[in-house]
Amino acid sequence: MDNHFDVIGSVLPKKDGIAKVTGKEIYASDVELPDMMHAVVLRSTVAHAEIKSIDTSEAEAMGAICLVPDDVPQVYYNERIVSIPEKTYRDRLVLPRKVRHYGEAIAAVAAETEEEAFAAMQKIKVEYKELPFYTDPLEANKPGAAPIYESVFLGENKFDVVNNVACERNITVGIFNCCPTCGTRFDYSCRLDEYHCGCGIVYTPAEDDGKAFDNAEVILEKEYDLSRVYHAQMETKSAVCRPEPEGGFTLWTTTQSIHNVRILLGEIFSIPLNKINVKRVALGGGFGSSIQMNSITPICTALALKARRPVKLVSSREEDMYDHHKYPAKFKFKIGATKDGKIVAGHLTVIVGIGGHNVQAYPLLGCMAGWYASLYKFPNLKFEGTAVYTNQAPCCAMQGYGNPQVNFAVESTIDMLAEELGMDPIELRLKNYVGLGDEFWGQGPTVKSTIKSCGVEEMLERGSKMIDWYERPQPGSGDGNVLRGVGLARGFHTSGTGGPKPGEVIDYSSASVKINEDGSVDIMTPIMDHGGGTWDAAVKIVSELLKVPYEMVSLSPTDTRTTGYDVNTHATRGVYCGCGAAYHVALKVKQELLTVAGQFLEEHPHDLDLIMDKESGQGVIVTKGLDCKRMTVGEVAAKARVLSMGTIAATGSYRQKNCPPCFVTNFVEVEVDKRTGQIRVVKSVTLGDCGTTINPDMLEGQLVGGLNRGIGYSTLEEASYDPKTGKLNCEGFYDSYKMTTAVEMPPLNKIETGFASTYEPTGPFGAKGLGEAAVNSIASAIANAVYNATGVRFTKLPITPAEVVAALKAKDEGRI
Amino acid sequence: METHQIELTVNGRRRSVNVKPNELLINVLRNDLHLTGTKYGCGIGECGACTVLLEGKPVLACLILAASANGATITTIEGIGAEKLDPVQEAFIDHGAIQCGFCTPGMVVTAKALLDENPQPTEAEIKDYIRGNVCRCTGYTGIIKAVQSCGCGGEHKKVTAKKQP
Repeated sequence: MDNHFDVIGSVLPKKDGIAKVTGKEIYASDVELPDMMHAVVLRSTVAHAEIKSIDTSEAEAMGAICLVPDDVPQVYYNERIVSIPEKTYRDRLVLPRKVRHYGEAIAAVAAETEEEAFAAMQKIKVEYKELPFYTDPLEANKPGAAPIYESVFLGENKFDVVNNVACERNITVGIFNCCPTCGTRFDYSCRLDEYHCGCGIVYTPAEDDGKAFDNAEVILEKEYDLSRVYHAQMETKSAVCRPEPEGGFTLWTTTQSIHNVRILLGEIFSIPLNKINVKRVALGGGFGSSIQMNSITPICTALALKARRPVKLVSSREEDMYDHHKYPAKFKFKIGATKDGKIVAGHLTVIVGIGGHNVQAYPLLGCMAGWYASLYKFPNLKFEGTAVYTNQAPCCAMQGYGNPQVNFAVESTIDMLAEELGMDPIELRLKNYVGLGDEFWGQGPTVKSTIKSCGVEEMLERGSKMIDWYERPQPGSGDGNVLRGVGLARGFHTSGTGGPKPGEVIDYSSASVKINEDGSVDIMTPIMDHGGGTWDAAVKIVSELLKVPYEMVSLSPTDTRTTGYDVNTHATRGVYCGCGAAYHVALKVKQELLTVAGQFLEEHPHDLDLIMDKESGQGVIVTKGLDCKRMTVGEVAAKARVLSMGTIAATGSYRQKNCPPCFVTNFVEVEVDKRTGQIRVVKSVTLGDCGTTINPDMLEGQLVGGLNRGIGYSTLEEASYDPKTGKLNCEGFYDSYKMTTAVEMPPLNKIETGFASTYEPTGPFGAKGLGEAAVNSIASAIANAVYNATGVRFTKLPITPAEVVAALKAKDEGRI
Repeated sequence: METHQIELTVNGRRRSVNVKPNELLINVLRNDLHLTGTKYGCGIGECGACTVLLEGKPVLACLILAASANGATITTIEGIGAEKLDPVQEAFIDHGAIQCGFCTPGMVVTAKALLDENPQPTEAEIKDYIRGNVCRCTGYTGIIKAVQSCGCGGEHKKVTAKKQP
């Protein structure tokens, strides 16, 4: 490992820090334009209905511009275009003719002020034909349930929706891969979704587990119920759209991908992409909520095009909470192991209630299978996933994309298995984990690569010492009113979605790097930063490579016109893939710089090197070995200008061909109050394996932020619905949707973080991702700690005080 | 609806605005005075993103009628560290107290108010004071550390850049 970095691994001021602490950072909702109108959205007050009529005459009489389903292009789209088109389900229009969840946008109004728009909106009359609605996927899935869709598109093909099933995914490995009738092994290509055997049998997922569990000496079968939660990114989804005089428009919007927004709007409105410019503005938190183009974005665009004036549309918090949630999941998990702790088979079944639109359920199920297959070595593995439409807010990725859910099921069960086997949970994990040299499913069954860096053992060992693992109490052995327990879980996330061959997921990034005439450097990148330091990482990587000091390297404001494509800041790909592109482009710039300098110094470029001279604040080109000739980068660039030799710059795009896992290990200590049912995390040891730590302080911020959201996920948060009204129980209000505040965090001196000493050979300067991994195993560790404290196993999230009190009472009374 | 002219002193500048009786202070700040550092997060006084100082005390601009602030002195985030960064702002940058930054203006204003009231707050006091400000990104520890670092009579002790071993 190269330990001689000048910039990588240093704690340096965040590039956008001053703008953010002074309130000068511009988010989409801060954009103001001359002659701008303000828009509001009319949202459904029922959960499932056909819209019989929308009467906007009174609103229009007030001078408002109204947008109804007839006004928008009849293009069925999927708001997320990260998957390849053949694997993308399309079921929605900009404004629907049928509402599928409470709070769905059905019309929109623009006026001179937001207040006037709101007053006009209240005059719109909507006639509904109400239909039965479902807030439980099991109910929606029953034969005879009212169809939420008759048909939807998969790629270009329309298909009928049966029993409200949006999509299914059944994936098998090992004996499960053999025909249950004749025993013939299926070939790989048959493994994904269908099972055609040479004997003519088509295997269906309903078949039993056959011989897979024959060698198991211990079998556990458990069920888990993971809640639907709300992303609660601080910035509500917003858009400002300005039609341009030459046609097309400019857009400022909340998004994790400016390019995908542009492509989608181009398709929906049939406008060439060179006429659409999506500006990169700061993102007030993402967590996955803006991987897809937000539903208000095309609405705002359509209003602006209709009004021929700039329009601003800012979602209220209540609207935002009805716009998207994290995928809930109901699991059944069967695991078999030998007495000495070798896992022989696993069978995971999941049903996911995806809400009223299918944003990305198909890749989600694939990823769930992949997270499960990549935690432990299951020689025989079976996954059956079903995504069911419900009349709820559409679900989309939220930090971890199915990983926290799967992790909870697997890591809880592994803990139970360890107890059943009389084995230490760390020992069982070390016996079975997927590590160095093993296959990792970075994005479902079609995006895999071989693990080349792994800190799992190191982190388990270090963490166990930091938390005094071997001194923890026996499960449920405490007395008194406050019970203490220690728990552990391990997890990971992918770094990007690249594999040796492109799979079902699109993954590449672009960047431009140029050396200015004084030796400073501009980077142009389309990547978005959620705040975790992706942009700073790009600066540090380019700074390190060109040896130009950090202060002399800046990110240019960019948009879709000035940058090449980037798929998205999702899948923990910002540093590994997004900055990976900047790294590879900067390599080209370095080459050109040395070539030009070679001409000036009369040396072969191979004989030149770059060093960082912090005193002069310049990168310096020197002759290798003997530092007899030197020129600063600024001198080279200035001379190149004077001699009209051109700008030293490069542009390019780059695809990472691996998806290395970033591992995490979480140890937590909890206190459970028997009287109140409150669970408090009193100590946390969180270790991450992200290869080279480019931004050590910001990586720590990722781990601690993940801990915070994990505490919320496991003990507080639930976007539950009232099955009688189809409305959120919290009605979209922040006072009723409980989240963690500062007081739920453990004391500062009880939050410990650390990083494995690994180096990812395929990443920029040895780095891989971390972001999403930070949350993936927190809830699992907390639940395992709660078991250690109380002797009661909770399999449903969130673990609410009421449930804790009831369960502990039942235990004391000998009922469980 | 009838409008009323109100006078506000915002960040040291006298401003005169015509407002409707039901207009909220947050809208006057953001839309009329174009001070967009004050953020809308929830509109019901739960997230703290719109925290401003009214006569030196922290208030939530989404819960205050603009008319009721007539004659008042208001400090928004734009009024803090306008010439030179306030020690709290420097501390936020140095302690990883910022990620997406959307809660940051309200959090800085709240931290400033806390330090004005209590120059050396304990960890528990800081947590209690900022519990009305939601930060979804950082897990709060960077923010608490930043405020703590200022807790020596308002003098923020700057951390020097350190390298990861």
